[in-house]
Amino acid sequence: MQEPDEFDKLYRDHVDLIYRYAHRLCGETESAKDLVQETFLNAYRGLKDFRGEAKVSTWLYTIASRACMRMRRKRKGQPEHELSLDEFVPTSEGEFHLQIPMDGLSPEEALQNKELRQALDQAIDKLPQKYRMALVLRDMEGLSAKEVGTIMGVNERAVKSRLHRARLFVRRELSARGITHHDDHKSGDVRS
Amino acid sequence: MTKKKTSAPKKQSRPSSHHHTHGQGHCVDLLRQLSAYIDDELPSDICREIRRHLGACPNCEVFIASLQHTVTLCRHRPAPQLTSAERVSMRRAILDVANAR
Repeated sequence: MQEPDEFDKLYRDHVDLIYRYAHRLCGETESAKDLVQETFLNAYRGLKDFRGEAKVSTWLYTIASRACMRMRRKRKGQPEHELSLDEFVPTSEGEFHLQIPMDGLSPEEALQNKELRQALDQAIDKLPQKYRMALVLRDMEGLSAKEVGTIMGVNERAVKSRLHRARLFVRRELSARGITHHDDHKSGDVRS
Repeated sequence: MTKKKTSAPKKQSRPSSHHHTHGQGHCVDLLRQLSAYIDDELPSDICREIRRHLGACPNCEVFIASLQHTVTLCRHRPAPQLTSAERVSMRRAILDVANAR
């Protein structure tokens, strides 16, 4: 059994980080909580063997990523498809633009539009897992390609390839949605 | 949307109206490199070539702007947070399972 203080410090310092990551991967609260618990349970068991070769956060991201893949496989049981660059070449004029209200707004202001947030979340949720993981770790968690490669167990070239396809996928999904100009950025509610 | 938070190099002004059909080889080559361009990972000579192409191809210019906006939105998407009560109850649940086995 671990020293309680050691685990408590690990949990206290990183639970918010891992929950944020889990929520971005899972797209909803209950699955995210399950993933956090699975991650820290595995970390609790592995803490005595952790030698500090990687940053603690990288170690926890790796545990969470593997646990997420196991949980998804159990639920879905089907292989995920590959994204080909060819499918992202626009074929009509309307596919080049993002038809969303962003002009003159900061990203934070634009994201106060609930419809835009939902469209973005749905697009990310539709990504096959390995592409979503690359996008979340690199663009949302802000890790380097090298760190993402360590976490996902692939080289930097593979990370960049997955990230590029993931971005193109999300861009295409947003482009396909005509999002109306809501005024709810004045409400300040960005939680849902 | 303001562009100050995106990191792609500045584009040249468009030289003239130039009829260009998207989907040609040049545009598809560009599509393959757009993330590396946005992330500032390409050598300067390739960046120059891309800027030259963007100046002559309105469709590619619009496309790269839309990809940059997509990346910016991802980078700024806020995530929900746990409450104190949730942190406490999850910690208890983890330790209960760990100590039960």
